[in-house]
Amino acid sequence: MDKNTLLIVDDVDINRDLLSDIFDEQYVIYEAGDGEEAIAQIEAHKDEIALIFLDLQMPKKNGLDVLQYMNKTGLINQIPVIMITGESTVDSDVKAYELGASDIIYKPFAPAVVIRRTLNIIELFENRIYLEKKLEERTSQLRDSQEKLEKNNEFLVNALSSVVEFRSLESGEHIKRVKTFTGILLHHLKTMYPEYGLTDEQLKLIINASALHDIGKITIPDEILLKPGKLTKDEFEIMKTHTTMGCEILERFKQEENEFYQFCYDICRHHHERYDGNGYPDKLQGEDIPIWAQVVAIVDVYDALVSKRVYKTAYAVEEAERMILAGECGVFSPKVIDCFEASKLELFTLTEGKFSFLDEVE
Amino acid sequence: MELKQIYEQMQGDYYSVLERLSTEERIKKYLLKFMDKNMDRLILDALEEKDYERAFREAHNLKGVCANLNMDKLEQSASALTEELRGGAPKGDITAYVQALQSDYDMTLSALKNLDE
Repeated sequence: MDKNTLLIVDDVDINRDLLSDIFDEQYVIYEAGDGEEAIAQIEAHKDEIALIFLDLQMPKKNGLDVLQYMNKTGLINQIPVIMITGESTVDSDVKAYELGASDIIYKPFAPAVVIRRTLNIIELFENRIYLEKKLEERTSQLRDSQEKLEKNNEFLVNALSSVVEFRSLESGEHIKRVKTFTGILLHHLKTMYPEYGLTDEQLKLIINASALHDIGKITIPDEILLKPGKLTKDEFEIMKTHTTMGCEILERFKQEENEFYQFCYDICRHHHERYDGNGYPDKLQGEDIPIWAQVVAIVDVYDALVSKRVYKTAYAVEEAERMILAGECGVFSPKVIDCFEASKLELFTLTEGKFSFLDEVE
Repeated sequence: MELKQIYEQMQGDYYSVLERLSTEERIKKYLLKFMDKNMDRLILDALEEKDYERAFREAHNLKGVCANLNMDKLEQSASALTEELRGGAPKGDITAYVQALQSDYDMTLSALKNLDE
């Protein structure tokens, strides 16, 4: 037991003696003759006091004032208080319990009973504080290891997705930008359209999953993937299979009931669907296209437009915006367009500013 | 005089106080302390100054001490006066209550004077 002190607060010395005589062999006893003195003693010895005996009726500040002070400072959760009172009135009893008193003992009290109740309460409090501390430690350990896991996970996802980019002679910056832009759009989506019910946790997973949107390109032959000019119809058909091929790769490691897997799968498969049903591979229409795939789709188009690619030069941000709004590069839901518009200043600033376009090829 | 006789004289409850506080020695220690406290004076002073809140608190204190020491007769008159003063002002003419308390207090003190031997 590390706390070895009791504070006895009563304005009548005989009452204080009655209590201190019971406990002075086991505990160091501090005394206070009114509420003000009590508060001063608590301030000075809060780390030593194992329990406070508190009289209700006192000059200057009364017992309830002391309880109120302990509530304001949070000490009521660290030091148990037993009220000692001359009478039982329901009002003041309820008030004392509401203010966090652990027990109420009425005069005249039997010392043997007071000892038992006091030691019980001290033990309960010590146990509770110990458990809370343990729980806090465990929670923080869990949080730490979860953060580590998330970091490792993100690292692996990034490494995996950059494999595709290296094959496309890109540097990995496209993936970074898609993730950043996806995050910006998703945050607007979450506030503007709460009906999608996306949580912050899900946003994190979707942002991470967006890195894998083109994973299926690993299966596309070099002559198509790296072709500088326009693809023939047959070549384009093969290129389109990167969506379903990506899913095939993922399915080998399928995890049932795993939200992250589902986001990865949906984004891989559906990031080339169109809101009017004329996209690929499944010709999904409207809100049948998962919202996370819709978001990555518009982000992917935007980034493609403002980047230099093997087959094209970069467009200015305003031109890219115009083309998207005019429906020249896919068809998007009005809500997704709204989010894009809400995000555009952030996107433009990043695009024209410090954001790296190291993947530009000469 | 025996402590038991003193308790009879002041119309207190000797067996209850002994049961709670275990030894006569302890009981005597508190009683001696009580004799020096002039708790009646504290109440009367407050009443004279018309500080009824303080008078209530002092009467309440006397009631509490009497309860702890099982001085039952004095506790009753202290309790009666306390109730008359509850709420910050006397409920009516309290003269009778004050007189009853004073007489019980004097009676108790004169009983306690036999303690020393």
